[in-house]
Amino acid sequence: MTRILLIEDDTETADAIVSELTERGFEVRWAPDGIGGLDRARESSPDALIVDRMLPGMDGLTVIEALRKDQVRTPVLVLSALGAVDDRVRGLRVGGDDYLTKPFALVELVARVEALLRRPFDSRETTLQAGPLELDLIERTARRGEREIDLLPREFRLLEYMMRRSDQLLTRAMLLEEVWNYKFVPATTNLIDVHMGRLRHKVDGPGETQLIHNVRGSGFILRVR
Amino acid sequence: MRQIEFIRSNTFLWTAAVAATLALFVAGLFAFIYWKIDDYLIMRSDRMIATQLNFLAELPPGRLNDAISDHLKQDSRGVQYAGLFDAAGSRLAGNIARLPPQLDPGGPVRSVRLARVAAPTVHEATVKAAARRLGDGHILVMGRHVDETREISTVVGQALLLGLLPAFCLCLLAGAWLSIRAERRVEQVNQRVQRIVAGDLRERLPQSDADDPFARLAGIVNGMLDEMETTINALAGVGNDIAHDLRTPLTRVRLALERGRTHAATLEDLQEVADKAIGGIDQALAIITALLRLAEIESNSRTAGFGDVALDEILRQVCDVYEPIAEDKDVALRVAIDRKAEVRGDRDLLFEAIANLVDNAVKFTPRGGRVTLELMSDGKAVRVRVSDTGPGIGESEREAVLRRFYRSDKMRNTPGVGLGLSLVAAIVKLHGFRLTICPGPGGRVEILAPARAVACNAAPSDPARERHESLAPL
Repeated sequence: MTRILLIEDDTETADAIVSELTERGFEVRWAPDGIGGLDRARESSPDALIVDRMLPGMDGLTVIEALRKDQVRTPVLVLSALGAVDDRVRGLRVGGDDYLTKPFALVELVARVEALLRRPFDSRETTLQAGPLELDLIERTARRGEREIDLLPREFRLLEYMMRRSDQLLTRAMLLEEVWNYKFVPATTNLIDVHMGRLRHKVDGPGETQLIHNVRGSGFILRVR
Repeated sequence: MRQIEFIRSNTFLWTAAVAATLALFVAGLFAFIYWKIDDYLIMRSDRMIATQLNFLAELPPGRLNDAISDHLKQDSRGVQYAGLFDAAGSRLAGNIARLPPQLDPGGPVRSVRLARVAAPTVHEATVKAAARRLGDGHILVMGRHVDETREISTVVGQALLLGLLPAFCLCLLAGAWLSIRAERRVEQVNQRVQRIVAGDLRERLPQSDADDPFARLAGIVNGMLDEMETTINALAGVGNDIAHDLRTPLTRVRLALERGRTHAATLEDLQEVADKAIGGIDQALAIITALLRLAEIESNSRTAGFGDVALDEILRQVCDVYEPIAEDKDVALRVAIDRKAEVRGDRDLLFEAIANLVDNAVKFTPRGGRVTLELMSDGKAVRVRVSDTGPGIGESEREAVLRRFYRSDKMRNTPGVGLGLSLVAAIVKLHGFRLTICPGPGGRVEILAPARAVACNAAPSDPARERHESLAPL
């Protein structure tokens, strides 16, 4: 079972996170302060860490820095009520792998934890496969089974991202950040949906099994299993 | 207390010091004049004594006595001394009682004490005198009482008093006046500043038209106060706007929850209520996020991360993002790039600004309309223009749209938090660029920026090809 250590001082937030992650099949340990959290992280070497930035005793970023100094490479998701881009940058610089601003939706948190736990892909590969889908990363061509899919560059980028994270919930915020490199929330809220609609139209032809699924209110999944 | 303060005031101390220096200088000058004049007069008197001595010595012995008494008679001020003595030293003629022993016949003029033969007393005075031995063995003494020296010193002293005292007083008066004036102005400023501190933001420092440093300073401070007043008023307005914009979704949330609690019968009902509540809270959060973002940009802390930003790339990326949305709305979105252009700035922020402009343009352009994203550069200035065939922004609203949360009544029901243009304005201001909302027809917003020197390999690209490439498929 995947083990996650949560370092968070607010009991109610921690309770909600622990319950949600436990329901999803994770084994969650909780530490309410920075020093205890750091000790627990060193003893139990979990698979992923969720660390709040503002902690009593020791700041969340200091905890991450200390772990990174010990050559601990465990993926870390930083939680913070500080939403400014600069804080985000600082959080990622000290060794956080992802940054989530409070308040957040629980699905968003789970999606990001799952993304962190996924092993990094091999950057040398030239083709990518997920179910019936196949991408040629050199030729920039896509096919579904025997059918060629004609994609615009931006659609290709989106499909590539989704195929690397197939069967995993991808939230709109994750897609905006990773695929479009957005550092802000666009005024048009259905921006991603429109792009996804285009891609789905091309990927899921008439009579074919639907691969791209819209998870209501949360995001999208490329389901190949 | 006030007197002490006044005397201790810097201006007054300075004037006092200047007055003292002036006094010293003038006293020195007068002493010099006195010394020079005295010197000159004594020299002249010595020459006269020598001349008279020579003149009398040349006379025949018979006429000498008469000449001496004539000479003395002419002396109305009684400063002249003359005497003829025989070889033994007994007086033969003149008004000198005794032959002064220090006087060396034939020697130069020197100061000796001479007693005058005058009834009733014989009084001695220090006199400049010289003696000459005549052919017949008699000794002729001529002298002159140089009291002019004293007179001159009196005159000089008087002149000093007459000239220096008023000058000194004038100096002090001027100093006092200057320092009182300065004190008074400081006091005036202090009172006004106290009022401003107390919250009266419309108060301004007294400002005269005179071009003195004080007036200039007041002008500068008043300019600063103007800016602050605008900002603070804007903030106050924003407070109200935030309250309003936050209350609207929160009210919906509250109502939904309240009704759901009473009326929901099934799990589906409750879920629907919860979804509504989450939606409302998300809207409130979006407003807070946008506000924090605005505050972050306006706090000016990001200029350190500035680099060279290729605007043509940003324009293409924005177009890439918004093309499908425009297409869905049946709006033609196209990019026209004159030539490549780089500016100094923050790539992410500039992307955000241009994306916001395009977002707005697409949102407010009716079906079948057109949105054009242009980049024009003449090597010195770069102009990014976003124009559309929408309703445009009326003259009266042009200022207002840059304010936070402003949404014209016709936009009230369009989604969005109403911070788009104020964000753009804040980003443009942070970069030191200029944002212009141009008059209609249609909407047209421009960002004007100074260009960076573009590297040689960035030759002007073929505009026709660019246009073709980025023309939105309809």
